[in-house]
Amino acid sequence: MRGRDSYIAWALVAAAAVAVLALPLLTSDRYLLKVFTFVGLNAIVVTGLALLFGYAGQISLGHAAFFGIGAYASGFVTTKLGWPFLAGLALAVGLSAVGGLLLALPSLRLKGHYLAMATLGFSEIASILFVEAKPITGGNDGLSGIPYAAVGALRFSTPQANYWLVWGVAIAAVLAVSGIVSSRPGRAMAALHGSELGASACGIDPASVKTGAFTVSAGLAGLAGCLYAHVLGFVAPSSFALDTSIVLVAMLVVGGSRSLAGPVAAAALLTLVPFADSILPGLSPATVAFLQEWKGDISGVVIIAVMLFAPGGIAGVVRALRGRFGGPGRPTRAGAVSAGPASVAEEEGSAV
Amino acid sequence: MHAAELLQFVIAGLKNGSIYALVALGFTIVYAATGIINFAQGEFYMLGGMVSVFVLGALKVPLAVAIAGGVALTVVVGALVERLALRPRRDAGQLTLIIITIGVSLLLRSVARHAFGANELSLPAFSPGPSVMFMGAAIERQALWVWAITAVSVVGLWLVYEKTSFGRAMKACSISHEAARLMGIDTARVVALAFALAAGLGAIAGAAVTPLTSTAFDVGARIGLKGFAAAILGGLGDFRAAVAGGLALGLVESLSVAYISSTYKDAIALVVLLAVLFLRPQGLFGRMAKEKV
Repeated sequence: MRGRDSYIAWALVAAAAVAVLALPLLTSDRYLLKVFTFVGLNAIVVTGLALLFGYAGQISLGHAAFFGIGAYASGFVTTKLGWPFLAGLALAVGLSAVGGLLLALPSLRLKGHYLAMATLGFSEIASILFVEAKPITGGNDGLSGIPYAAVGALRFSTPQANYWLVWGVAIAAVLAVSGIVSSRPGRAMAALHGSELGASACGIDPASVKTGAFTVSAGLAGLAGCLYAHVLGFVAPSSFALDTSIVLVAMLVVGGSRSLAGPVAAAALLTLVPFADSILPGLSPATVAFLQEWKGDISGVVIIAVMLFAPGGIAGVVRALRGRFGGPGRPTRAGAVSAGPASVAEEEGSAV
Repeated sequence: MHAAELLQFVIAGLKNGSIYALVALGFTIVYAATGIINFAQGEFYMLGGMVSVFVLGALKVPLAVAIAGGVALTVVVGALVERLALRPRRDAGQLTLIIITIGVSLLLRSVARHAFGANELSLPAFSPGPSVMFMGAAIERQALWVWAITAVSVVGLWLVYEKTSFGRAMKACSISHEAARLMGIDTARVVALAFALAAGLGAIAGAAVTPLTSTAFDVGARIGLKGFAAAILGGLGDFRAAVAGGLALGLVESLSVAYISSTYKDAIALVVLLAVLFLRPQGLFGRMAKEKV
């Protein structure tokens, strides 16, 4: 249906995947690989959040907590109980997805953005538990000695192997979520954006669609958390605080709604900022120190500025450029899920 | 448990509860005027305390003047947030506006850290002296101030709502912006004043509590959550319910410390928040809002 555009999109995705997976062949710098492994972990979380934000129109301030649940769950059972990695992974994904479901069920039956506040409350409870439940989490000292991921005889013990593991999962996650948004649930979400009332009249239950999106995105955060624990070998509560959730929101907002590529690109960009010195060797130490010191202020300004001046984020800007230079004769994209105007919020109707 | 001991916990609960009530009022006022949850409400509380401490130290003015300065500056910040960050996108829908308030909250917190430092700061008590004894329980003088300030704020707010044309305009806006505009109400002005009022109430709470607990740049998120829990517990959108919710939350928290444990004190409010969302989302006193078509 979408013809040329669709082929170009697939070619770009395939090229990006190949480029990403080829990185360890080009460099053996362990630090650089670790930094890009973190980019991959954030890409997994942001892919789930993009489903929730860009397609289901909800925002979560609690994904750092689901990330933490995944990390602690798998870290604990593999280190203290001797479970194999895959069992820990299943537990991590299962626990965070169930947690997401339990949180979303009541909050999404209400009008408005109760879910956002509920996720914030959930995140604070989780932060307290991560510190206080010492027998499981190790308290402020954290949990150390977490084994490398291993499947059968295959052990992910080198930076390269871990990089491929994380990015392999990240690419699979992007493909899976793009499958969701271009199939029936995705069309239901698109319909909800048009008019929630209209969609309900067509037999779509808004709450169950949004709850499903939230469960998937919480599960993906748990999956990323599990990988994080096994890549790093150590987890501590400070990694899963509210700040982490807000950074994730910044990635989403900068990336734009109704897009997966945009948020993943923004995740890469914002994850790399604190490591700017190792990516761009020419950067002065003063610039790097400034970026790290003023990170919070800059993120706040960026979130506000994007919502004020470019509410579509990176994805919106790309769409606008394609619209301008695409020329005539392109197939119309009305009805296609990946099309649609710049912002979710634009279509949501006036709040005031 | 001894009666005097129990009374001590009740007093502590009512003291914290009045603070939650003031923060909850801020949520309620903004929600009633705009329909959005203001994620920066806790930062107004933080600014009230921090700016008062800063003015006191930098200008060496009397305490009352410093606090007036702290509250006034926070009110200006509240109005500026509305004017510069929210009004330009007021037709954009809830999600956009909520994300903007999240950005504002992060920005205010980070700027406060740079402006006032990362250390805990405190104010002297409003009227120094020993605690007042009441039926065997001790009441700090500052707690009396907190109650007095809460009572005056609530009565003042009630007068504004019931007796002034601005109050009627606020009520009209909470029912329908469109209709209010058609009746000649300047809705943009009402929303700006609602933000200023919410910022002022948050700042007063923050300044009043600073002599008791001290303050820091990062206190906003947690108090914001508790204030929101109080607003939800009472029923979002009604200011008497916000006050009742605040006091009830303070009592529940304090009694749970008395009877259960203090380890999870901060988690209690959040559990209450989630429980209310699960079981009675309209709050204890609210009625379920009908969806407008």
